[in-house]
Amino acid sequence: MRLSFYPGCSLEGMANDYARSIDAVFKNLSIDLVEIEDWSCCGATAAHSLNQAMSVVLPARNLAAAEKMELDIVSPCAMCFNRLRFSQNMIKKKVFDIPWPVTGDIRVHDMTRFLAEPPMIKSIKERILRPLNGLRVVCYYGCQMVRPPKITGYTDYENPQTMDRIAAAAGAQVIDWSYKATCCGASIGIARREIGESLTKRILQKARQSGAEAIVVSCPLCQSNLDMIQKDRSKRHTPVFYFTELLRLSFEEHGDPKWFKMHFTDPVPLLRAKGLLS
Amino acid sequence: MQNIISNPDQAHEHDSGEERKLIGDRGDYFLNRMQGETGVNISACYQCERCTNACPVSHFMDIKPHQAIRYVQLGWREDLLKSSTIWMCLSCEMCTTYCPNEVDVAEIINHLRNMAAHSSITPKEKSLAVFHQTFLEVLQKSGKVNEFRLMNAYYSKPDILKERVKQGILIEDLLLGMTLLRKGRLKLFTPKSRAIKEIKKVYSQTRGEIV
Repeated sequence: MRLSFYPGCSLEGMANDYARSIDAVFKNLSIDLVEIEDWSCCGATAAHSLNQAMSVVLPARNLAAAEKMELDIVSPCAMCFNRLRFSQNMIKKKVFDIPWPVTGDIRVHDMTRFLAEPPMIKSIKERILRPLNGLRVVCYYGCQMVRPPKITGYTDYENPQTMDRIAAAAGAQVIDWSYKATCCGASIGIARREIGESLTKRILQKARQSGAEAIVVSCPLCQSNLDMIQKDRSKRHTPVFYFTELLRLSFEEHGDPKWFKMHFTDPVPLLRAKGLLS
Repeated sequence: MQNIISNPDQAHEHDSGEERKLIGDRGDYFLNRMQGETGVNISACYQCERCTNACPVSHFMDIKPHQAIRYVQLGWREDLLKSSTIWMCLSCEMCTTYCPNEVDVAEIINHLRNMAAHSSITPKEKSLAVFHQTFLEVLQKSGKVNEFRLMNAYYSKPDILKERVKQGILIEDLLLGMTLLRKGRLKLFTPKSRAIKEIKKVYSQTRGEIV
């Protein structure tokens, strides 16, 4: 199976560990991810806030490149996924002029939903060498991956299940909770940090109260928000994993503590305690 | 605090303190313009406040989301463009998702934000507006956004640096930056996209320049 891969800017920087774990997991699943030729930024929140035309045109450039490759897109970043889908929607409406040949007909998958399809779950289960027994996690989806449902195509946007199914397939004990799709405040987290932090803290607190030992995410901004807020203030640590990091851990015979060195909240002690890391 | 509704005198005082805005010559020009440009049926709003109750940051807004919709209906354009609401919005799409009448509240707020950005009104939340602006500047320079370049560019804005110093969080920010560098999360150099020229060209065109 071959898919085009749109990593997005974060995966080259802050979420470089996410990129590496994706690479390992897809190699293991024998799925060929072909990076979109000379991709550019999707514009994120800034483009649609200040210049709506750019918020359609920027993702369209990447859609056009993927259409040329004739491969469906898989996007690991919630924001990129949302913007690509939004752009497709607007291309069809023909409201803005796109300088590249693009139809918007290609399929854009978010990575969690792609891997949560029944055949994929089956294939994941076949490859598990070390199930994550006893690891209690909550899955956190954030906003851009699931909302608005008309764009993202999620029907269970109040209680999304994609990562829950993947984490459960990897053997983790997945806990139900109410804050799966509550916003973490990433888009104002830098300019108005106190507001961003108030939102992030609440999510972290609710995750802990639900009995989770770790949080599983798929969005680079959710990860850095939830992870960095724990940099010194609390004695209790709740590691924040990308879902592919957990998959990789369960796929390989020997995990390596180095995989997690970019985390603020060191997950190594937890994983050692659970016998998942030597 | 006394309940103003149970005290008619005070309620009267409260009312007289505010100048009554007449629609007058405004008509429904602004409402029609907004409906046309966003494709949203703004008239369908019946003020149930579901959007405001769903919003995670409504308590930081001066005009609540449901009020913003009412303001559009009344044509109170300048109040909206001057509000903190349009900048405070996280674009988390809760309001849009839960509106029983399918009013795309987030899209309307976003459209107002676009309008404000192209107006002479100073944004009430300048730090947020400047952040978005900086993001687009960095994007144009390299076709992608490198976090290190973005943060450098953002802190190089005179007002932002001053504000961070005044709030006393500059040192904390610098220390965080150092930790991020040490952990390898901030990359000094990441490859640029070859699309810079194309992107610059479209950007100019969207701003009305003939290129």
